[in-house]
Amino acid sequence: MTSRFHYDLVALVIFTVVIVFGVPALMNYDGFELNTFARYLALAIVSMALALSWGTAGLLNLGQAATFGMGSYAMAMHLKLRASNGLPDFMGWNNVPELPLIWMPFESLAFTLLAGLLIPAFVGGLIAIFMFRARIAGVFVAIITLAFLVAFQLLVIDQQGLTGGQNGLTGLAQLSLPGWTVDPYSMGFYYLVAGCLAVALAVGVYLTHSKFGLVLRAIREDADRTRFFGYNVATYQTAVFCISAALAGWAGMLYTMVLEFASPTYMGVSFSLAIVIWCAVGGRESVIAAAFGAIIVNMLEGRLSDVFVEGWHLMLGVIFVLVVMFMPRGIYGLLSELAAKLRRAGRQGNAASIDPSSKTQLETGQEQ
Amino acid sequence: MKRRDFLGGVGAVGTAGILSTPALLTSASRALAQGNDIPVGLLFSLTGAVAVVESTLHDAALMAIEEINAAGGIHGRQLRPIIEDPASDPATYADRARRLMIRDKCVSVFGSYTSASRQAVLPVTEQRKNLYWYPTLYEGRECSRNVMYGGAVPNQQQDELIPWAIENFGPRFYMIGNNYVYPKEENNYCKTLLSEYGGEVVHEEYVPLGHSDFSSVINRIRSEQPDVIFATVVGDSDVAFARQYHAAELDPAKMPVVSLTRSEVEVKAIGGEAAAGHFSSAPYFMGHDTPENEKFVEAYKSRYGADQVTHFVSEAAYFQVYQFKAALEKLDPANITPETIRDAAVGLTLNAPQGEILIDENLHTHLWPKIGQWQTNGQAEVLVESTERIAPKPYAAYDGQTCTGEGLVKA
Repeated sequence: MTSRFHYDLVALVIFTVVIVFGVPALMNYDGFELNTFARYLALAIVSMALALSWGTAGLLNLGQAATFGMGSYAMAMHLKLRASNGLPDFMGWNNVPELPLIWMPFESLAFTLLAGLLIPAFVGGLIAIFMFRARIAGVFVAIITLAFLVAFQLLVIDQQGLTGGQNGLTGLAQLSLPGWTVDPYSMGFYYLVAGCLAVALAVGVYLTHSKFGLVLRAIREDADRTRFFGYNVATYQTAVFCISAALAGWAGMLYTMVLEFASPTYMGVSFSLAIVIWCAVGGRESVIAAAFGAIIVNMLEGRLSDVFVEGWHLMLGVIFVLVVMFMPRGIYGLLSELAAKLRRAGRQGNAASIDPSSKTQLETGQEQ
Repeated sequence: MKRRDFLGGVGAVGTAGILSTPALLTSASRALAQGNDIPVGLLFSLTGAVAVVESTLHDAALMAIEEINAAGGIHGRQLRPIIEDPASDPATYADRARRLMIRDKCVSVFGSYTSASRQAVLPVTEQRKNLYWYPTLYEGRECSRNVMYGGAVPNQQQDELIPWAIENFGPRFYMIGNNYVYPKEENNYCKTLLSEYGGEVVHEEYVPLGHSDFSSVINRIRSEQPDVIFATVVGDSDVAFARQYHAAELDPAKMPVVSLTRSEVEVKAIGGEAAAGHFSSAPYFMGHDTPENEKFVEAYKSRYGADQVTHFVSEAAYFQVYQFKAALEKLDPANITPETIRDAAVGLTLNAPQGEILIDENLHTHLWPKIGQWQTNGQAEVLVESTERIAPKPYAAYDGQTCTGEGLVKA
């Protein structure tokens, strides 16, 4: 076990304890506050999903909102069918005579949950195969994913009979699991979202510290060199894209449950860029930091808009500019620099020792 | 390296400073009741895509609240407006609506311009049995017991308009709208009226929201030579459409655009020259001659600037606050809840700027439809005024469905 892995495990445990036990106590177990915070936690999942592909593998996916939206619509379709007797109301308005084939399987909860993960993964995988087989890298990945996002959102808005168009899917039922109807203002729901985030983070931490994560970091630093070592770069990139898309879909499903509707704005460019900002503020090198970034930015947005009704947008913008200028690696970067400085200070008496951080890096490689 | 560290430090301290600003930490105090006043929410976008129109609704509603407060409030209690800016984003609407209805315990919330934002607010409104006052004209086909609909539904805008247009210009209609539920629904209703009065649809076309290049539409209009252009284009799209229509030198006397969505705000952006000669159907125009309207327009202009305009949605945003006041005055001050307000509001009449309006038991509003022709000065000349107040039928296009005081009834 490397020390870096150690730190991340400790951070994960602290983070989980705080969101599961600390936050509800701090919020006085108030339904409204918990619902608001559950929203932040759902967004934290999509932010950490982006950190996985962006921070670890260097693939800036500006289309993250598209896969998020797929998950969110999958859940909304299920809840809409539960809420309506037969044909969902908006289909009648759009002169759709009977339930379209693609809606039918969403009657089943099991299918919906699977679809919310696998459809985004599949679509993400398709784009990834197309991009990474062709060895597309860098800014072009961002451009292609952004273009996909825009096209996908237009398609969703245009297919009103299937998707509800601009208004999205509204008038949803509450999710009913065997023996439990999920009320988005309940403690149970909060724990559900917090638990999902903890599991997603555990998966993320595991992946980044596995051999898989190491290869991804190698690809990020120098794809050609990794290729010469005999690794199939495209396969690794595609895999991380799929996993990231599935996590985003998962976040989308929870988000629909929090807000009780699905809207095409969940697949908007501004939402997608917001995910990038959360990730950047927290620190894209660590999935936990990225999740933390999403929570902190959304809390800040909530607070700022509460106090300064006019101009909160502007303030948020100024803060982002400052972060990018002075904390390019986010809060995580700031903390790790601080830690490195402390370590350096502590070592001054012992000049002969080797720089531990570079040694750790080597160890990570050899151990797995 | 040194300098960078320093700057990084400054940045961190700065961020921390902002985070710990006392105002931010004590923000919850705004939520606490301040004595005996009545908290009401204002949920109109002040920023973002639809802010140009929606902020005028905010202005009108806020003006009404302050007028009421200046006149002594309701039962001697002041209204306390709690303002939120949902930034034209449905998810933000949902979030802010929760704040207003759950945390701040508003007894009513006034808000929304677009249908998408109203729908985003509906789940929490219905679940918490709050009351949402929605001032915009809309496509109908909704029958919530927790929304007060102040705008026109299709039958109120079209019943008079369509036969009038057929008689004056001819039976061949060209339908152009943005691609979402409102235009489709208005067109659905228009088609039933056309078949009743012997009109026909020569072409039906939808462009994406925000679309701004209408050259192919205009070419088709030119080749089809319809009698009437029936327009449900909204916002920036409508401005672009009107300007390009004018630039293409299509004559409003031969092929007029008859719009359900064009108001004084859009005409201000289009320019009076380009808008002149075309028509709109609405329950209110700024130039309408009643004492209530004179007072409203004068107060609005003196407060927000002489170049500002009032229009059929801001009028509703304004009178809805007075409807709220009238409902509260009927109630026992100790028993003010969203549901008692709703029940007290049903059947209320009020002298609004457009005329005497009435709240139906289906929570929509009985209005006075008018047809106006735009002039070069940006105002409309009212050509036709309904002789009677028209009842709202949100399900007019659907046989066997009626929105009643008990909700939607299917025959």
